[in-house]
Amino acid sequence: MIYEVWVLTWRELKKWWGRRGVFIVSLVTPLAWLGLFGKSINFTKIFSPSTFALSLPPQLQPYAPYIQKVMENASQTALVKLFGTTDYFSFLTTGMLVVFAFFQSAFGGVNIVFEKRLGSMNRLRMTPAPRFSIFLAKIVGTLIRIFFYETVLLVIALALGFKPDVTLLGFILSGVAIALLAIGFISLFEGIGFNVDNQEIMFSILNLINLPLMFASPVLFPLKQMPDWLQEVAKFNPLTYTADIVRYNMLGLHTVNYVEAWAILVGISAVLTIIGAWASLRVLENY
Amino acid sequence: MPAQVSIDVRGLTKRYGRLLAVDHISFQVYRGEVFSLLGPNGAGKTTTVSMLSTLRMPTEGDALVEGYSIVRDRTAVRRIIGVVPQDLTADDELTGFDNVLLMARLHGYRGKEAEERAKEAIRFMELEDAANRRVMYYSGGMRRRLEIAMSVVHDPQVVFLDEPTVGLDVQSRRHIWDLIRRLKKVGVTVVLTTHYMEEADELSDRVAIMDHGHIVALGSPDELKSRIKGDRIYLKLGSPDEVRRALEAISVEFKDVSEVDGQLVVKVPSSADAMPQLIKLLSSFDVRELRVVRPNLEEVFLELTGHGLRDEESFDTFKFRRLMGAMRS
Repeated sequence: MIYEVWVLTWRELKKWWGRRGVFIVSLVTPLAWLGLFGKSINFTKIFSPSTFALSLPPQLQPYAPYIQKVMENASQTALVKLFGTTDYFSFLTTGMLVVFAFFQSAFGGVNIVFEKRLGSMNRLRMTPAPRFSIFLAKIVGTLIRIFFYETVLLVIALALGFKPDVTLLGFILSGVAIALLAIGFISLFEGIGFNVDNQEIMFSILNLINLPLMFASPVLFPLKQMPDWLQEVAKFNPLTYTADIVRYNMLGLHTVNYVEAWAILVGISAVLTIIGAWASLRVLENY
Repeated sequence: MPAQVSIDVRGLTKRYGRLLAVDHISFQVYRGEVFSLLGPNGAGKTTTVSMLSTLRMPTEGDALVEGYSIVRDRTAVRRIIGVVPQDLTADDELTGFDNVLLMARLHGYRGKEAEERAKEAIRFMELEDAANRRVMYYSGGMRRRLEIAMSVVHDPQVVFLDEPTVGLDVQSRRHIWDLIRRLKKVGVTVVLTTHYMEEADELSDRVAIMDHGHIVALGSPDELKSRIKGDRIYLKLGSPDEVRRALEAISVEFKDVSEVDGQLVVKVPSSADAMPQLIKLLSSFDVRELRVVRPNLEEVFLELTGHGLRDEESFDTFKFRRLMGAMRS
């Protein structure tokens, strides 16, 4: 079983490695998110006093320095109250690490739809390899890819001004949380991939799942500034808890109970994995 | 020496909704023979092979492959069989060698041994020159041979080939036939499906003729052909009037004369014996064409089912895969 998983993972990685240009394309995405999104929505600058100072009426001009001081304090307070930090870029980076792993985990499922159509999945089914090893190898392979990109993303973020406050243990725990989230969703998407015959349907389902989950979570903006109903929805979203654990470990911020967050994340991940494994094996044994 | 049974099929059935694709078929394949399932597209050949190779679960019935049940001992069956499916299954992003190596490893071979086996299978299928190229650059014939290499790398006792030469040119087809004969020579039991009459005739020890999910006849090609009893002589004449008069004239001496699509068909035990008399009878007619058809499997099929082996090509997998390849890169 372990040998088969290793062999099948080797196949995944060799195919991935062989795709020319895949690195560049994969690097552009996180760069664009962090560089454009993270830097363009610069809240510190938006609320900066110099922006307001220009519009002061002439009779108040002499007091400009005082007003600026007050404004500065006010904006800092507002930012801290909203994000827990004045550093939105760091806030976004931690969220990005979570959301990127989440999006990448869909690729395992998309792969399966193509491999079924191209016949290579049938070829694997002809061998005596345990059916579960086929399912498992996709998880391992996709997980390795995800952590490769996460590392690249982290390096880019550090270069762009990400300032984490993290211990080695915290760093590892953040990785574990992201891995748990990814395993759950890779399994789920595998299950969907095995049961869907057409890549267009697959992509539609992905968009249906991915975008709402991203927006109904604190990965880009804090929950506090969302309407109440959306905050309720976010409570059922594993991204919420993953982001919270990562921010707790890397920035010292959190909004939900830390232990609770772990328990819920582990629970959701386990449920998704079981559903995914069941749906995949059902098809693998007999389609 | 009585032939040993390699595959024992008992009442095998597959139902897709209301369609009965394979309807309670039973037959035996002997060890070391080449056994063909001959029939038109949609006869149930591929479904039968898919069930025997554990890719699909039978709705009813069972089969023993070298003693292992395809319903209960599926993993054991997978260990001893090799399958060359109709669709191409090699991963076109990997090299030919990597594809074969993957198969060796998934059959439990490790390290150097797996590599040696992969090399040997590549050599057997004469693909050494292309071994380190990615499969997306292979020609149709090379892909077929790679599929066979992937299926025999673990020395299977039984090899299933589903339409192994569909869409190939004559030269590649002959090449595949040679390779199948070589498999037989090393003692492998070969089951192949085909809708090419010559392919079944040329390669097989025994043929099962399938139509609409049933086996309508089973025997060696010679046995099956002898069922037709003799030759057929097709005659084309100058006018419909002549056809009618010739029919009357010939019927005096020959029992089995009929008119099919404006031609006369005379069934005779031996065309050589019948010819002098026939020519004498036809001396006063305007014979445009005279054709002698020796018995062949196509005629057998026609006789048994009343319709021909339609020679339409199936879905063009190569083209599809090329398209997909272009989409991904």
